[in-house]
Amino acid sequence: MLRLPKIDIVSIDDLSIGEIERIMVMADGFAQRLEAGERLHIAEGMIMATLFYEPSTRTRLSFESAAHRLGGSVISSASMDASSAAKGETLADTVRVVSGYADLIVIRHPYDGAARVAAEYARCPVINAGDGSREHPTQTLCDLYILRKKKGHLRGLTVAICGDLKFGRTVHSLIYALARFGANVVAVPNRGMEVPDYVLARLAAERNYSFSSISISELKALAGGLDAMYLTPSAPHQMALFTSDIPVINPAPPSPGPASLDAFYVTRFQRERRSEAERDQPDYVRFDARALKTSRTQEAVVMHPLPRTDELAYELDTDPRAVYFEQAAAGVPVRMALIAWLLENAGRDTIKPGTAPLVLKAENAPPCSNPNCISRRESRYLRSRFKPAPAVSHHELCLRCEFCERELKVQYVGHSRSRRYYRFDESLLGFVRQWLEDATLVVFETVKQAEEAGYEPYRRGPQREIMNAEEINRAVETMAGQIIRDLPDLARVSIVGIVSHGAVLAVRLCEIIERRTKVRIPCAALDVFRGYDGLQPLGGAQTFDVEDRTIVLTDDVINSGWTVQRAMTTLWKLGRPAGMRLAVLVDRGHRAVPIRPNYVGKNVPTARNERIQVRLGEAGEEGGAKPGDRVMLYSMVESLKEAGESA
Amino acid sequence: MVQMSAANLTVLDAAAIGRCVRRLAHEIVEHNPQTGDLVLVGILRRGANLALRLKSALAEITGVDVPMGTLDISLYRDDNRSGSGDPRLLAREVAFSLDGKRVVLVDDVLYTGRTVRAALDAMADLGRPESIQLAVLVDRGERELPIKADFVGKNVTAPHGQRVFVRLAETDGTDAVLMGGAK
Repeated sequence: MLRLPKIDIVSIDDLSIGEIERIMVMADGFAQRLEAGERLHIAEGMIMATLFYEPSTRTRLSFESAAHRLGGSVISSASMDASSAAKGETLADTVRVVSGYADLIVIRHPYDGAARVAAEYARCPVINAGDGSREHPTQTLCDLYILRKKKGHLRGLTVAICGDLKFGRTVHSLIYALARFGANVVAVPNRGMEVPDYVLARLAAERNYSFSSISISELKALAGGLDAMYLTPSAPHQMALFTSDIPVINPAPPSPGPASLDAFYVTRFQRERRSEAERDQPDYVRFDARALKTSRTQEAVVMHPLPRTDELAYELDTDPRAVYFEQAAAGVPVRMALIAWLLENAGRDTIKPGTAPLVLKAENAPPCSNPNCISRRESRYLRSRFKPAPAVSHHELCLRCEFCERELKVQYVGHSRSRRYYRFDESLLGFVRQWLEDATLVVFETVKQAEEAGYEPYRRGPQREIMNAEEINRAVETMAGQIIRDLPDLARVSIVGIVSHGAVLAVRLCEIIERRTKVRIPCAALDVFRGYDGLQPLGGAQTFDVEDRTIVLTDDVINSGWTVQRAMTTLWKLGRPAGMRLAVLVDRGHRAVPIRPNYVGKNVPTARNERIQVRLGEAGEEGGAKPGDRVMLYSMVESLKEAGESA
Repeated sequence: MVQMSAANLTVLDAAAIGRCVRRLAHEIVEHNPQTGDLVLVGILRRGANLALRLKSALAEITGVDVPMGTLDISLYRDDNRSGSGDPRLLAREVAFSLDGKRVVLVDDVLYTGRTVRAALDAMADLGRPESIQLAVLVDRGERELPIKADFVGKNVTAPHGQRVFVRLAETDGTDAVLMGGAK
């Protein structure tokens, strides 16, 4: 059996510049040998498995052709559907099994970061053939190959990339690669399809790139008045950055823009990654021969990853500068070169040097903010993983997802050993790094989440009791009475309590209503921080339906109202409630959304730095006040900085 | 001034609508003295027209040009049921991030609250605003959701079965708020 080294090509960054150059040279050789009709046996005995969870013609066929041309063979599954796979087998299990059948796995998957997961679980090497809106490294190799062939080299090229730069995964991989070769990238996005911030952040952090919006008349002519974004290495040759159309933040003298363009890279609109509402794009860029007529662009070649829709004029096809069909044809020799390069490295020590990333302690990590991230889609076995990223604001900790690179910004951090939480500010950064290293860092999106997890503020001021057990009991009884009076058709009412005190309240309301009316109302707990997965039926029920029901949403304290808004979003994703009422034990004011509770146990005007803490014991005995119940008001000292000042 | 016309009752005439918009603008400024991070988001079509009027009223009062975006939220039926659907987002024209902004959401009539809920949902994808406040020309009560407007032009109690509709010069040729059974 042929053993390939465990070298995974998940990102174009998994290959060094030298390795990319080597693969280019090998691809040249294979192109010639194919031309000469030579039969090759380099990969005899190798079995490559193609796992395509998304439709693809050219990537899949060119990979399979490359394997056959090298004398290897291919196994494949006729049709894989990520949605049905999601119901059944996990991605991890599939690749574990398939890596026993094959020497190499080529995977395409709709979720961001899926290839990284496949690489971690497969015993054989994994090549990413596109994962969600992230990367497509072999397409990038083809792009680089054509650029090198047409321009003679890859160093310091100026490439304009046009169209959908938000979801185009080929584009992200290409930008990373071009940056490593010191290229200037002129991004010409359609409005609303700009290069995502996380890509820019990575370029800034890893390649020392800086960027600024500019508008170049030539580009305007071809892209219909769109602004261009200029990415340029800060060293060695700094190009002047300036803005013209948008308000100038750092006024700088206007620069002439790039001397000349080496290539245009046109991309199609990634329709399939858009919601219904955004699928119509009448203003999408259309590239035609006019763009090649200026003195700065006449040497430029036109590239496109194909398939094209309407963005590339057919009249260009006969122009010698249009190289997109050559680009597609390069798919086979380049992929042959990649496979042959893996074979060439068969003896190589596969453990790449480098420091293991600091990873947020698994059980405490919040979910990734990207709903298409594999860590959220396959959360049954994957835990979110983050690395600290350069922060933009002094009051937010920025964490980057290890799978999809999306950034998560958090305002509250906690220390799991002392069980204290703090509002993040820069002065905490040293501690945060230390806690991350000790795996004692936890992060919270809100104070509520921290308190639900049993964390106490770093330091608190004087406190006083604003409701005792008896008052709480009376308030809940009153609210139950109001619900019975307001909603005569109790058979169509359901109660949803926000975890955890809201859920306790929900159960108590249900019990009181049942005692008084003999109607048993369905009840569920909702964990707003876990979204859709967070709805748990209570009281022994297996299912909970929101369709056409009047939902009484309960929570202990309403403050800004964002939690309630989030709960509504989740509930409306599950169905269409006939209506909703909101019941809270305490309304403390400070609303930030236009939401008003229908039933309030007690209105408590508070200052912003005051907190309300609710203690509600689990419902146990029938009716009556629970002795441990109370509502406390205290002022808090949120951060070390404030504590230092007041001390 | 309330007067009878054919079948419909005029709740607000053109002059009264003008006064309402100016008062709403003053109230918005009063509650948001820092106009720097204020943005308007209008719900198409009449909410967007009102937002545009508020924008010029705000410019008059404060001299600040407040950025504005629109949301298109319509009744959306995705199944064969004869029952009423829920409003959903159809399109979104907000050319700026809502991160850290104080958003004033503008609509013509606040009724069940379902449109506002859909709008809150739609804005969640556009960043993390500091706050969202709701301004409406008419609040006709009978809420089905726990939604409350921060700024209200006029509260109207319509008898059951009666409708309240807003006519604006930009869409309907005339400015009026009417109540009755017929359009």
